[in-house]
Amino acid sequence: MGACRCPTSHLISLLLFLFPSETACRPSVKRPCKVQAFRIWDVNQKTFYLRNNQLVAGYLQGPNTKLEEKIDVLPVESHAVFLGIHGGKLCLSCVKAGDKIRLQLEAVDITDLSKTQEQGKRFTFIRSDSGPTTSFESAACPGWFLCTQLEADRPVSLTNKPGEAIIVTKFYFQQD
Amino acid sequence: MQSYRLQGARLEMSTSCVLQKLSGAMFIVYLLIVGVSSFTIQPEEHTVPAGNCRFRGKYFKTNIGIEGEPVVLQCPQMRYWLGASARPHVSLTWRKNDSAGMVPGGEETGVWVQDDAIWIVPAWQGHSGTYICTVRNASYCDEMSIELRVFEKTEASVPFTLYPQSLTLSTAGTLVCPELGQFTHNKTDMKIQWYKDSVLLDQDNKKFLSVKGTTRLLINNVSVEDAGYYSCVTTFAHKGTRYNITRNIKLHTKIKEEETVPVIISPHQTILASLGSRLTIPCKVFLGTGTDSATLLWWKANNTDIKSTYHERRVTEGQRLEYSENNENYIEIPLIFNPVIREDLNTDFTCVVRNTLGIQMLHTTVKEATTFSWGIALAPISLVLLLLGGIWMHRRYKHRTGKAYGLTVLKTGHQDFESYPRKIKEIK
Repeated sequence: MGACRCPTSHLISLLLFLFPSETACRPSVKRPCKVQAFRIWDVNQKTFYLRNNQLVAGYLQGPNTKLEEKIDVLPVESHAVFLGIHGGKLCLSCVKAGDKIRLQLEAVDITDLSKTQEQGKRFTFIRSDSGPTTSFESAACPGWFLCTQLEADRPVSLTNKPGEAIIVTKFYFQQD
Repeated sequence: MQSYRLQGARLEMSTSCVLQKLSGAMFIVYLLIVGVSSFTIQPEEHTVPAGNCRFRGKYFKTNIGIEGEPVVLQCPQMRYWLGASARPHVSLTWRKNDSAGMVPGGEETGVWVQDDAIWIVPAWQGHSGTYICTVRNASYCDEMSIELRVFEKTEASVPFTLYPQSLTLSTAGTLVCPELGQFTHNKTDMKIQWYKDSVLLDQDNKKFLSVKGTTRLLINNVSVEDAGYYSCVTTFAHKGTRYNITRNIKLHTKIKEEETVPVIISPHQTILASLGSRLTIPCKVFLGTGTDSATLLWWKANNTDIKSTYHERRVTEGQRLEYSENNENYIEIPLIFNPVIREDLNTDFTCVVRNTLGIQMLHTTVKEATTFSWGIALAPISLVLLLLGGIWMHRRYKHRTGKAYGLTVLKTGHQDFESYPRKIKEIK
């Protein structure tokens, strides 16, 4: 199976390489690109919700389950995505302030973002799949991954130490 | 307060409306009823805080408790807004909305304040209600309310206490016994017992493994049968009595949706069609072993949605097809023209496929098939014309050479004619 699939994927990559213009997304065109809603939860079963305009990960019970935030995903190119919430009206970005790097929720429409502009890059995340789980690395901040804390009700953030025991960077990520 | 003012405004409106029409008055009576009911439904939202204390509102998460079990209510603004560093500089008080006094202190009552939280051990339905935490110092005061709902330990109340958790089929994953932090803090001998459908899970089971010293239950090779109701139970001792702490979990199992980079394999760049006829252009996408539900596929006309371009629905997107051929998945969506008109020849139709792994667009244009048949029709005509032209040319040439020959003949004839009498003369 694996041996069979490898040349296929290479062929696909070759095709995509040969026809780059065909693979490019143009979110800047008048018609908004289609945004897909995904459910995200970490390997410790924590889901995302908003607290005081901040995205946090925790356990939601009974009537609180309606607080869960779905992630709006707009594919930019192969393996690169824009991530948003609230119908793509708030987008996740990586912001560098001095020598600090942090995850930010910005009030921009996901369909107005463009990967070609430098400002669009901070909203871009590279998704990589490993078994059933997915990790998201910031394109603007290489080596920094979307993460949750082991402890519940803590902010969703970015880490450059994905191996740490108190940090979770592996998410289940499935279309809603 | 706001509702009260609103009600007043509605009263003014009703007096003016009554003078007009009876039906209008009836409508206002309805509005009044709605106004009054909304006034009675939300009492805690309009609690005026004592003194100059700022009321931050109700904490958005409801705390759920099970009768007979301990419950801990955290002061929300301390935990999430001010942080632990503010603790030494402020005083913290709690009160319950329906009781005039403070929340009773002292462990003997089973309700006491410890650090930033109220402990209720054990909780009963009477403990349900709104609790208000006040944080103040000499220059600062703020309040926030938090709701507690204590449910009877019955089957009927289980849905209110459930934590949904999800795992992927055919993989290993963990369930987590959530929100035990306050009870398991600084405990190394934490013991959690796991139940599925009220049956204690066997620890020697290869399928389930309760990871010692953690709140996790490892499930190997998750199958559809593993979905359902789980509960995890730990204990908490207070004044010589052990109390159970139960968390109910509903496990959902999901198929691993494998995504692959989608590749459009048809249509061609140009499609031939005759004006006035019906045309279907299928856009076919190869997904390989990937599953199709997460892949979007649609058509655009000049970079605009088909639906918004063709309001009259002359051009539409057909039914999406999802199928497998030789264990490889394909999706297909047709673009249907009913009928094709001249305008379509100048339109850029694009098939777009997109999932989180890739995007591809394929442009296609419609060409008029009749222009090609005209060519075919013209070919024999031009051939005939060429032939006729050839014949004419030939005949013309033939005619010219014929004339020249006649002349020479005539000349020689003339010569012959001239010399002829000489010969006669010679004979004579």
